[in-house]
Amino acid sequence: MTMAELSNAKTNAQDKPSGASAVFNGRYMPPPEDGGGQRWVRTSMIIQASAEALYARWRDVESATQWHGQTVNVRRTGMKTSHWTMMVGDKKIEWESEILADEPGRRIAWHSIGGDLDEAGEVIFEPATGGRGTMVTVLQEYRMGALENLSQTISGRNPKQGVIESLRHFKALAETGEIPRTEGQPHGPRGAIANMKRSMYGETVPTPPGELRRAG
Amino acid sequence: MKAVCWMGKSKIETHDVVDPVLLNPHDAILRVTRTAICGSDLHLFDGFIPTMEEGDVMGHEFMGIVEEVGSEVTNIKRGDRVVVPFTIACGNCLFCKKKLWAACDNTNPNAHLMETMYGYSGSGLFGYSHMMGGYAGGQAQYVRVPFANVGPLKIENDLPDEKVLFLSDVFPTGYMAAENAHIQEGDTVAVWGCGPVGQFAIASAYLLGAARVIAIDRFPERLEMARRRGAICVDYAEEDVSVLTALKDVTGGVGPDSCIDAVGLEAHLADVQGLYDKVKTALMLEQDRPGALRQAIQAVRKGGTVSIPGVYGGMLDKVPFGAAFGKGITMKMGQTNMHSYMKPLLDLIEKGAIDPSDIISHRITLNEAPEMYKVWRDKQESVTKIVIDPWAERVAA
Repeated sequence: MTMAELSNAKTNAQDKPSGASAVFNGRYMPPPEDGGGQRWVRTSMIIQASAEALYARWRDVESATQWHGQTVNVRRTGMKTSHWTMMVGDKKIEWESEILADEPGRRIAWHSIGGDLDEAGEVIFEPATGGRGTMVTVLQEYRMGALENLSQTISGRNPKQGVIESLRHFKALAETGEIPRTEGQPHGPRGAIANMKRSMYGETVPTPPGELRRAG
Repeated sequence: MKAVCWMGKSKIETHDVVDPVLLNPHDAILRVTRTAICGSDLHLFDGFIPTMEEGDVMGHEFMGIVEEVGSEVTNIKRGDRVVVPFTIACGNCLFCKKKLWAACDNTNPNAHLMETMYGYSGSGLFGYSHMMGGYAGGQAQYVRVPFANVGPLKIENDLPDEKVLFLSDVFPTGYMAAENAHIQEGDTVAVWGCGPVGQFAIASAYLLGAARVIAIDRFPERLEMARRRGAICVDYAEEDVSVLTALKDVTGGVGPDSCIDAVGLEAHLADVQGLYDKVKTALMLEQDRPGALRQAIQAVRKGGTVSIPGVYGGMLDKVPFGAAFGKGITMKMGQTNMHSYMKPLLDLIEKGAIDPSDIISHRITLNEAPEMYKVWRDKQESVTKIVIDPWAERVAA
């Protein structure tokens, strides 16, 4: 079955992102540029944990609600497939995801195979230079109209920034066992300007819950 | 509870707000017993630091008694008396492992804001704008302390709060400034700004082997305090005093081995240059007024060191980089890596080598805080340091 057949009505022009790595053959490789309806984002972070442990955390798709932004439910539907539900503001987005490549401790690639989201991604885990932990690189491609992209950016978080924040939360959780948050702390009267700033700064987007049982 | 809130530029108010609750498993809640206003809070008051929101609880210098801890907190328990560092560190990331606590990767929920402005994000801070995390501060009756296994320092002696409170920021900041100045035995060190950080930098410079410290300020009470610590005082506001000439005159033309800029982004200079910065910042053509930094770079001897504990927030204008290069100077700066300094400095206080409480000039209540921000900003009433008792209704100053 070809990739085009797999990905129902909305066809991915390319099978999947590949070569997330920023260096190939001794040369720096820039991330793919947006175009042809595709939007790309590549981001990487150094995490103080083993590649095996980080791979296992990422591969355990149902636990992604702990750290994956705005993701309220992930249900495993098969060996390689899962059903994802995201809440963007008060809009519910659902899609099926399928794992395309699975190399334990090294790499996972996936793509959507139907639903409200048309995306494909890859994550690689490699030892950081000098034994400084594990470098985790995410390359994500998605298709979204300019209007939808703008509306998500204004109402909450730019989808590209969302990918970066998800990796940041993944890292915080892996390194500390929690995700830093400020929702629910005391403050004086906010007023209209403060509320506008909160939205502009992305503070109205809920922080994922983190792994450990919430305190209190 | 009562809390001091930022309500806009030049607008600080005390409000009744909800009590903080545990939000994460490594959180602790403190009943604040003493808190202070920091000179850097005046930068927020004056609107120099972006991403403040109306209603933000101020304050990053505080201590208290542990009221409640989250499920994963093991280092402190209810009833412990602790001082809290103003920078929040996770203890586990690459930077915490290198003891660069102020560069922690994991404690700023709004890291993306700082990345947009500065390229990288530092750690979260209490009560110091949303790009620095947006954490509610400690000028309040209670405060939530995240990552409580890593930051809070237990005080297990009977020293009064006032003697240990400044371990939360200004004492370690002044000490790190002196350490960053690479002081060698016999060195001459010049310090711009004799507020609390400057005072601790002067004391620390002597502790680290300086033979002589030159203190630069314009307020008599601060200069007198510096003189009592053994510094030579230069009052730059006095007629006929040029700081650069003074520093050459007293060092045989060599210049100080190390210069410490404990002023930061709101320098006041009496000359044309000072006017230049005032006009440019007023017109929003420049974000900071780096007058002290310019002088420090110009004054330092060939191959000397400029250490910068003063806070800067944006793009700087007319920095004499040619002089910096020509003399081959070293510059070292940044938020204090608090967690490395608190325990050793507590030992110094316990031994009686230093009494940090000698900088306090005013003791106030939370209700009096808004007025005192103004008083300190306008440099009235000879303020050197303001300490707040959050539970007092009225305190004799």
